[in-house]
Amino acid sequence: MINPIFRNIIRILFFILLQGLVVNRLDLFQGMVLPSVYIFALLMLPLETPRLLLLFIGFVVGMSVDAFTNTLGMHTSACVLLAFVQPALLRILAPREGYEFGQNPSIQHLGFSWYLTFAAMATFIHHSALFFVEAFSFDFFGHTLTKVFFSTLATVFLMVLGQYLIFSPDQRKTS
Amino acid sequence: MRNIGRLIYRYHIFLVFLVLQLIAFALLVKNNNYQESVFINTSNHLIGSLYEKRAAFSDYLKLSDFNDELSAENAQLKSKQLENFMDLENGTIVVNDTLFVQRYEYLPAKVINNSVNTRNNYITLNKGSVTGVKPEMGVVANGAMVGIIKDVSKHFSSVMPIINPNFTASIKLKKGNDFGMLAWKDKDPRYAQVLEIPKHANVQIGDSVITTGFSSFFPEGLLVGTIAEIDAPEGENFYNIRLLLKTDFYKLSYVKVVSNLMKEEQLNLENEEQP
Repeated sequence: MINPIFRNIIRILFFILLQGLVVNRLDLFQGMVLPSVYIFALLMLPLETPRLLLLFIGFVVGMSVDAFTNTLGMHTSACVLLAFVQPALLRILAPREGYEFGQNPSIQHLGFSWYLTFAAMATFIHHSALFFVEAFSFDFFGHTLTKVFFSTLATVFLMVLGQYLIFSPDQRKTS
Repeated sequence: MRNIGRLIYRYHIFLVFLVLQLIAFALLVKNNNYQESVFINTSNHLIGSLYEKRAAFSDYLKLSDFNDELSAENAQLKSKQLENFMDLENGTIVVNDTLFVQRYEYLPAKVINNSVNTRNNYITLNKGSVTGVKPEMGVVANGAMVGIIKDVSKHFSSVMPIINPNFTASIKLKKGNDFGMLAWKDKDPRYAQVLEIPKHANVQIGDSVITTGFSSFFPEGLLVGTIAEIDAPEGENFYNIRLLLKTDFYKLSYVKVVSNLMKEEQLNLENEEQP
């Protein structure tokens, strides 16, 4: 059993590298679909992470991703927004009896439909911020919105896939 | 006073959020300025070396393509060699020719990162200030325009390519010599726009567009692309021209950095002219 803090740091580093070195190279439908899989690492942070810490993690992760694409500020802004709304999202989506201690925001602990709603909402917020900041205007509103929609689909799909890849089947049974 | 303290404490999460957002936007605005050097970017040493490792791996997979490209270029150069030309005038005296002075020098570089699908595209090269790359040098590939060096670190440099909305260059039609501006307004990395070509110019689809040599970045006559679409809007004096770029940004791997040996001289002279 690895220390959860250490595990989260490793996970964040892994997803930043994955985003910077592999996913950014994907050119799907002429840039219409641009998944940001690294937010998987942000969404996997434990439920009891302090909000202040969450904000700073979002800031640092966003900066690191920006460094790969020369877009300093873009991912940073979107990630800080995500880190700000994430606790509120978790509160809205809380099960009736509340979260249990030691639960992770994962399919393993909270079920497929819960995770899908959570991931879709969080991803949509992040991608909207990201692509509208990238466009820096509402000029191409339709175009940007389509980009947000399809990229969100792609990211959520990859994140659900990632959930099944990370947790082995016997681990999942214990939920 | 205590109330203010309590208020700040109550909303401290939101305040921190606001501050971080402000920093993000400040960075965004600052980084968008052309020629503004920023320390965290792809010419940064850490990111640059990561990109170089990835490029080394993916280049290995593309070796056969590179071989084809190189042999084609070799063949082209071979055909220009002196022994392939006939001497028309025998008996000429060889003199040390001082009529020609070298004006442009080319430095080969490798593309280690290349984005085509974002709105602000950039290219990273594996040559930096150590090998003599400086900001505002031109970048060409296979005799076609690619972009201009923006930032330089010791071993890497980042290029602003044609397919970046901040990029502009003066160009002209090969046939007719009418001048215009090159800009990228499409979201399509295969095309760019030619602006300010007057309507009295004779423009046809398929015509070549070349550099003017006015700016100190590129030599004159470098191919930029061929005209793909012409539109003549009512009530305006200029054509709207869509240009098919010669450079395939999807496949860019080896480029040459152009250094203009007389740039200083040209700029000094031009600055003197202005009062």
